[in-house]
Amino acid sequence: MSGMRLRLPLASLLLAGLALMQIAGTTPAAAAANCVQGTHKPPYKLGWANIYSVPTWMKETTGTIEKMADDLKKQGLVDKLTITDAQGNANTQIQQIQSMIDARLDAIIVDAGSATALDRVIADACSKGIVVANFDSLVDTNELTTKIDTDQVMWGKLAAEWLVQQLHGKGKIIVLNGPAGISVSDDRRKGAEPVFKANPGITILAETNTPYNAAPAQEAVTNLLFRYPEIDGIWSQGGALSAGAVTAFEKQGRKIGPITGENYRQFLEMWKAKHLTAWATQQPNWLAAFAVYASVRALQGADIPRYIDVPLPIITADNLDSYLARAKDFPADGYIYSPYDTKMFDDLIARSLKK
Amino acid sequence: MSTSAIRPLYWPIQWRRNEGLGALYIVLGAFVVLYVALFPGILAPGAVNKFVQGWFPTAMVAVAETIVMLTGGIDLAVGPMVSLGSVVAASTMQTPLGVFGAVLAVMALGAGTGTIVGAFVAIARYPAIIVTLAMSFIIRGTALLILPRPGGFVAPAFSDFLAGNHPTTIVLVLVLVMLWKLYQATPLGVGLIAVGDNAEGAYRSGVGVVSARMFAYAVSGVLQAMTGLYVAAQTGSGDPLIGEPLTLSAIAAAVLGGVSFLGGQGTLRGALAGSLLMSILINVMFFMDLPLVAQYVVQGLIIVITVALPRLRGARSHTA
Repeated sequence: MSGMRLRLPLASLLLAGLALMQIAGTTPAAAAANCVQGTHKPPYKLGWANIYSVPTWMKETTGTIEKMADDLKKQGLVDKLTITDAQGNANTQIQQIQSMIDARLDAIIVDAGSATALDRVIADACSKGIVVANFDSLVDTNELTTKIDTDQVMWGKLAAEWLVQQLHGKGKIIVLNGPAGISVSDDRRKGAEPVFKANPGITILAETNTPYNAAPAQEAVTNLLFRYPEIDGIWSQGGALSAGAVTAFEKQGRKIGPITGENYRQFLEMWKAKHLTAWATQQPNWLAAFAVYASVRALQGADIPRYIDVPLPIITADNLDSYLARAKDFPADGYIYSPYDTKMFDDLIARSLKK
Repeated sequence: MSTSAIRPLYWPIQWRRNEGLGALYIVLGAFVVLYVALFPGILAPGAVNKFVQGWFPTAMVAVAETIVMLTGGIDLAVGPMVSLGSVVAASTMQTPLGVFGAVLAVMALGAGTGTIVGAFVAIARYPAIIVTLAMSFIIRGTALLILPRPGGFVAPAFSDFLAGNHPTTIVLVLVLVMLWKLYQATPLGVGLIAVGDNAEGAYRSGVGVVSARMFAYAVSGVLQAMTGLYVAAQTGSGDPLIGEPLTLSAIAAAVLGGVSFLGGQGTLRGALAGSLLMSILINVMFFMDLPLVAQYVVQGLIIVITVALPRLRGARSHTA
């Protein structure tokens, strides 16, 4: 009886202490990242559950994963990297993640084929003590170790603000989106909406939904060019979409106004060669390498925040040349991502922990 | 006379239906053995259950496609229909209709859509490939209108019941087989294969060609929409695009299972075995640990060999 009475205040004291530590921004020494349970001894076995391996963006992304895994292998931290390809099928991705759980991998890296479809299998992996790091296309569940991403809503907002500024708040624009039903496309478009709403001088002539590829975007924009004799600006939410749009304008002999885009190599080269008025940001491929690094750190016992917000690297006329200077290291239809190293990853983890 | 005359026929006919599936059974058996050898943990009851849950959506759509293909048609809207089923399930479950209402809504959706497609094909006699292609656009658009991005709500208890740790899905496979036997025992079921094999002959023998075809599309529609319901439960959400790859999987599994594009030829067991092979291949490839590119090659070779083996044997017996 007396033991009970004694224990209760002790427990509440401990809780209060923990709460205080969190407020002060320090973390208890024994703090571990979410999902980490049981014994994980290096070298670790990692799995990369890819949704689709064919697009160039994905190939480059897998490249950063393999490079990071190789570096960690040399340090004796990684044993093996298993890669699966769901070929665009979320059901297959569920099955492959299930196999990774069955094979008792230490960590699973995921780029989700659907914002919701993987929720249950990922939560299942987490409950079994497997580290799950999700990047790029995020899942809805929070029962995983960490989500690493740029802010897609911010992506759309920044692009819209730049375009509105270029047009001095007045003009007719077209909006080029990714495929309908995809969270990333929806989020980017959502971010732009309040900016367009706040500037009634901006008229949206038409919107397109195409895959993030140049050819379908070019076709869609060509149709719009026939229909609209006057287009002042282009809000495009993908680098390949922008490249397709530029080609379409050029083939019709039409003058192209300010255009937003991404670090797609062809688009950046067109920007330089044709002296476009342009702005670009990027979804850095190295988010994947970061996910590998964060997973291994989590397995080593480091505290990894549930969400790591990666600032969007912006490309303007001022730093365009620094990207083009590295172009030869990237595929012709690839994305020239900003440089990265583990020091930067450590800083981003520390920054997100403080939040 | 009645039972004694029928009994001796039942098993020989059942046995004959395995004709042409020998190669598939052998390949499938080999892969089951290989899977167990690579991952003995699959034999644990929980693991078998999880595997069946992963296979079940493909199995359902393979059966749905088989029914349509047996009539001599094809359905290109299977994938979008699964998506729409998941979207309708995830957006009705939170309303006062509840889980029960959602199940009914999804069934009605499948039956309704299937009947419309069936009417176009059976009564108006439009080619199934065109009708279902057009339908796939309508269904995909509708799913995107209802849920522009993945979301919605699926009762967690419902998810746990269907795709949790209970062997519900294994029971569902058995229910599916029994319902099929029931279907085959009705005039509509007999008509299903008859109209695909020889519509004119079937008509002259008194089979209701139009009703058999329409009913086949309606049944197929219900199966597709219910697959959507299952996927919604499995994933805990609705997704307007989740079914997309299933159209091709359904056709591939059916053809792998010996279902003919020309109609009148095919079995439920073939469709199930075909889809099971495709599903098990995914896991075996994982545990074989081959490089990705090699996986594609191996996967393709296995499918081609499985389809080609019975034909090779057939060709040899023709020349002999």
